[in-house]
Amino acid sequence: MTIIEGMMSGFVQSTSLTVFPYLFIGSLFGLIIGVIPGLSGHFAMAMAVTFLYTMEPATGIAFILGAHATVAQGGGLTAILFSTPGTGQNAATLLDGPPMRDKGQAGVAVGAAMASCFLGATFGAIVLALLIPVLRDVVLFFGPPEIFVLAFLALTFVAVLGKEDMTRSLIAALLGLLLAMIGVDNVTNTERFTMGSDRLADGLSLVPVILGLFAVAEMIDLWVRGGSLAKDAPTALSAKETQRQIFYGIGLAFKKWWLVMRCSAIGTTMGLIPGLGSAPAAFVAYGHAKQTAKDKESFGKGNVEGVIGAEAANDAVEGGALASTIAFGIPGSSSMAILLSGLFILGLETGPQMLNNNVDIIFIMIFTIIIGNLIGTVFGMFLVNPLSRATSIRAEIMVPILMAIIVTGAYAGDRSLFDIGVALVFGVIGYIMKVLNYSRAALLIGFVLGFAVEKNLYLALLIDGPFFMAEPIPAGLSAVTALFLGWNVWTIYRDRKKG
Amino acid sequence: MRRTFLKGLAATAVAAASFGLATPAVAQDAMSFYEGKAIKFIVPYKPGGGYDEYARLIAPFLEKYTGARVDIDNMPGSGGLKGAVEIFKAPADGLTIGIINGSAMVTNELAEIEGAEYKVADYNFLGRIVADLRVFVVASNSGLNSIEDVLASDNELLIGATGLGGSTYVDAVITADAFGINQKVVHGFNSSGDIRQAMARGDVAGMWGSYGSARKGHEAGDHKIILHSAKGGAPEVEGIPSVYDLAAGAADPAKAESVMASWDALSAVGRPIAAPPGVPEDRVAFLRKAFDQAMADPEFVEIAAQGKRDLAYASGEDMNAIAKAATDLTDEIRAKFVAAIRGEI
Repeated sequence: MTIIEGMMSGFVQSTSLTVFPYLFIGSLFGLIIGVIPGLSGHFAMAMAVTFLYTMEPATGIAFILGAHATVAQGGGLTAILFSTPGTGQNAATLLDGPPMRDKGQAGVAVGAAMASCFLGATFGAIVLALLIPVLRDVVLFFGPPEIFVLAFLALTFVAVLGKEDMTRSLIAALLGLLLAMIGVDNVTNTERFTMGSDRLADGLSLVPVILGLFAVAEMIDLWVRGGSLAKDAPTALSAKETQRQIFYGIGLAFKKWWLVMRCSAIGTTMGLIPGLGSAPAAFVAYGHAKQTAKDKESFGKGNVEGVIGAEAANDAVEGGALASTIAFGIPGSSSMAILLSGLFILGLETGPQMLNNNVDIIFIMIFTIIIGNLIGTVFGMFLVNPLSRATSIRAEIMVPILMAIIVTGAYAGDRSLFDIGVALVFGVIGYIMKVLNYSRAALLIGFVLGFAVEKNLYLALLIDGPFFMAEPIPAGLSAVTALFLGWNVWTIYRDRKKG
Repeated sequence: MRRTFLKGLAATAVAAASFGLATPAVAQDAMSFYEGKAIKFIVPYKPGGGYDEYARLIAPFLEKYTGARVDIDNMPGSGGLKGAVEIFKAPADGLTIGIINGSAMVTNELAEIEGAEYKVADYNFLGRIVADLRVFVVASNSGLNSIEDVLASDNELLIGATGLGGSTYVDAVITADAFGINQKVVHGFNSSGDIRQAMARGDVAGMWGSYGSARKGHEAGDHKIILHSAKGGAPEVEGIPSVYDLAAGAADPAKAESVMASWDALSAVGRPIAAPPGVPEDRVAFLRKAFDQAMADPEFVEIAAQGKRDLAYASGEDMNAIAKAATDLTDEIRAKFVAAIRGEI
């Protein structure tokens, strides 16, 4: 089957009457799962897998991948309206989303986020389609030395992330790295920082840590501060005004197409690299948006470009993440592992067999991502109005309700009471960091990347010896990292001189 | 031979069925006990892995033959240890069962890993779904084509493995030790997929793994199976030498063979379904019968074949013997395995 034939067949199949209804249901299901804090794409897929046994391959793929594709959109809604990331990958949206809401621009932020998600996902899907002939070579490009340096490069972006100063950001990032070390070390089987607790031996899970740092901390803040979530907009926006804002926001995302493209490229590239995940991709894209903006000062205070960058990247990840799953049957994340077992259940083979004989299946995935996100955007808009009304509810009512949802979300992932404790502890840590002006985003990036940095450093040393950094690609990437850091230090120095 | 195929399966199912008929009164009691109840089926890993798939594959058929509802409960943690302990310590009413990573739980027990609060031989096994045929694969780009090439090679071979003491690691060091393979084990990969990617890049030359996970890459030509663990061969790996063939030519054949036999006994534990100790006998018998019927159900066999999921049935009674054989080792061999699990060789 040629690629063009596969594309035609994939499009006809995914829009056919037997497949489309499942794609539709899957996308709505994913959107709702995304809105609920703590429930992620991985959770939506695990639930959807159960239904696959009786489905045809095309239908099953559209259903399960549809459920995964829209989760980030739903999560973006929650992040902007309730300062609570709906899923881990929306954590970067918190930097500029809620400040926009506080300025009475919730609709603009949501519209821009939704449209960027759609554009980012489409970008990632198209890149995946273009890469099909060389997919295996692209995936093999990234070995331990390359991943180590790239993860390190991503880490350096923390320096420009927040409105906080660089020293504090670095302290937070290093704390994140330390937190990533908790648990049994995969290499030597030694327990680190577990203090004898067998719960800590498995390390800290990402979901409760994110919920704690951002959601619980916001709730503490709201409780202490009183009032309602929408600070300066005490009365809810009218339905008509919200609608007008959403369309304005969508227009903004299209108008800033060049930014969307660049941030999507960051997202897709990071998706290609196994083990990095979509949360760092969104932060790196945010850092890039801020770095290249004219008015860096307005970031963190409600700049729509911050929302666009983060949301475009976290959905563009999808196309990249699918690459290694399709090319080798090697899942790069827990969501992709579930997708892979879904494909098994449907009787589909990945690897060269799929690349040569089932190109239509790859295109069903590609069209599912695009169409699913379109459905998510349209129906996400309907959710804005009822949800945004809730933002003006008083703290005394709002905090207990949201806390109940957050605690449930922390528990649901692994059905673990311990994770509720983790979320609460990190809630206190997050609140203290917020008050003292330490970057929570930096801590999160350190935490997420810590494992990848350590593992790949170790493997690179074992495989290529101590001089692996001297190989051309790692050396080139290291030079980029050094230049980037140097340029940042220089701009800070320059700004200080000016000030 | 440990890979019992359909013939043995059918024979045992018939035997189990007649056993059921011979004790109608007892079975009646157990049947009415399970009618309309909910059985908690613990999977000690996250959704999406092989264990989860097998569990979800068989659960509807266990429902069919027990009359109870079967609820899958994923309980990941400590490499499957947490779920295995949870099953072991569950109330002995026969309403909690689960699938365990038998071989890994045996090695944990042997090495006295902290938290291994169970005795594999004490579980009430319902039976085994599958036992992994272990295979040694080398990447197609490694220039190696057979185990002879590996043995004759002057260069140190880089072998990929997951965690220290995991099965990919233990297999590699035990066989290399027995046959004098010049290798360096690169451990620390996240999963066997992770190692396969490193093989495709040429970072490592080979790895040990289950046939189930190696099959696809073998057929696609990404890597080649050059050695396997089935005594007397198996249809999937026809024409490929086994470790026993290799042991016959080792410096000390008797010793190499006894090490391989113990190693094989370890992987024979495979993936059994277990209930905690102390469950009333009639309920164990009832559950075993339901498991046998489920495994022999043509629809189940067909779905498993469709998903290219191997089955290697063993009855609950056989599993008790298999588990005992795996934990009953001579002092010398035990010491060798413990050293391998702890990463000391």
